[in-house]
Amino acid sequence: MIDLDRVSKSYERGQPAVRDVSLHVNKGEFVFVVGASGSGKSTLIKLLLRELEPTKGIVTVNGYVLNTMKRKTVPYYRRGIGVVFQDFQLLPDRTVYENVAFAQHVVGTSGRLIKKNVPEALRLVGLAGKYRSLPRQLSGGEQQRVVIARAIVNRPSILLADEPTGNLDPKNSYEIMKLFEEINNRGTTVLVVTHNRELVNQFQKRVITMRSGVIVHDEEEGGYTDD
Amino acid sequence: MINGFFYNIRQGLKNIWRNRMFSIASISTMAACIFIFGVFFSLLMNVNSMVRTLEEEVGITVLFDEGISEERIQKIGETIKDNEHVIDIKYTSAEEAWEKFKKEYFADHPEYADSFSEDNPLANSASFTVHVDQVENQATVVTYIERIKGVRQVNHSDQAVKTLMNFNSLLTVISMVIVIILLVIAIFLISNTVSVGINVRRQEIKIMKLIGATDSFVREPFVVEGAVIGLVGALIPLLILFFAYDKLIGMLLNHFGVLNNLASSLPTVYQIFAVLLPIGLVLGLGIGLIGSALTIRRHLKV
Repeated sequence: MIDLDRVSKSYERGQPAVRDVSLHVNKGEFVFVVGASGSGKSTLIKLLLRELEPTKGIVTVNGYVLNTMKRKTVPYYRRGIGVVFQDFQLLPDRTVYENVAFAQHVVGTSGRLIKKNVPEALRLVGLAGKYRSLPRQLSGGEQQRVVIARAIVNRPSILLADEPTGNLDPKNSYEIMKLFEEINNRGTTVLVVTHNRELVNQFQKRVITMRSGVIVHDEEEGGYTDD
Repeated sequence: MINGFFYNIRQGLKNIWRNRMFSIASISTMAACIFIFGVFFSLLMNVNSMVRTLEEEVGITVLFDEGISEERIQKIGETIKDNEHVIDIKYTSAEEAWEKFKKEYFADHPEYADSFSEDNPLANSASFTVHVDQVENQATVVTYIERIKGVRQVNHSDQAVKTLMNFNSLLTVISMVIVIILLVIAIFLISNTVSVGINVRRQEIKIMKLIGATDSFVREPFVVEGAVIGLVGALIPLLILFFAYDKLIGMLLNHFGVLNNLASSLPTVYQIFAVLLPIGLVLGLGIGLIGSALTIRRHLKV
């Protein structure tokens, strides 16, 4: 599903952000990637989204080899991946419904299917009743749920989340993580980048720890380690 | 993909509405441009048609030596007819010339003409009126006739034609310059409008790309925006021109002192618009597309 083979990524100046990382994530797995800021987590996400190309090594996702992928293929590759970011990135001038439907329009879904899929996604994240609200009328946790609904409405096989609880209180963070777990239970591979120690320890999933661009721990049902 | 296309048409129209101040500025410039283009185009068509009419009407007048015999005149006529560019030759006797003169100039005051009584002041004014196939060949024919023996004088009044043709070239140059300047402004304004739209939608574009929008999908709304601005900007002045045409052209022709006897053969508004409408719309659409394409290329690295 996700396969990194000795991947390095250097920026023009300074230390490589990711160094010689090899990693394999199976279909249906739930993985936390943890580490301090600057440890290379965000670079890892960008590599997986093909916002960046590796300097060395091979990245294979969903059967696509990202190194040799043609520009034209990138959008189709990305349709297989849902993304959730720390800052909510909802379109402020559109309702909850329109924000989620937006993802479907982008990939050319028919109006009939959009009417069916969007309420379904909103129901899953528990916001069916608020489809007409604007983002600013929602709490932070609710906004993040809309982002998640948008990320899953196209039914991606992988869900990438970059610090999804960075702006949320513990209760909301827990609920968001529960939601990811439920999405994972439905068969979607979930990869969550976070530095929220308590949350990681609460959920007992596979934990990959990065430091200075290198994977220092990779444990099944692990916890957040500092060493 | 057809779903996405309709979605993007809606988005393009929304863009226009969202930054309507810029859109209005672009549409107005576009409209001014097409309007001026339309006015000059109509004028050119009219002047062209006048030139054609004049070419047909204006002939060469051939006058003969004093006291020339009828027989000789006939011979001269035959020689003139031999020239390949001559399509028509008509004889006017001195009497006919005088009658015509009287009709044209003394119609209201026949008493003036009577004072000449039987003394025809145009006694030596028997003439041939020669028509040539094309106005450009006039000079050749004139030289040819001047060499014929017995010919006193050859009058050719291509001066009017020349003046009109010069006027036409001048009009063409002026209109081209104005239209080109306005087109550049229009392209610039449309490009500006579209770039405002792109900036407003930066975040949206970023999300679209992460979700998996194709490059062309991201560009489409902005292409639609440019095309619609161009088309609307062309359609408005064309409509105005269509309804104001008769008045406007009448006023302009009057202002430039165009002869009334040429006005009857002028093209109708339908004849003008059969050409002007498609040209104007294509021009508007083209400018709109160029304006948005330039901006998308520069500001929308997808």
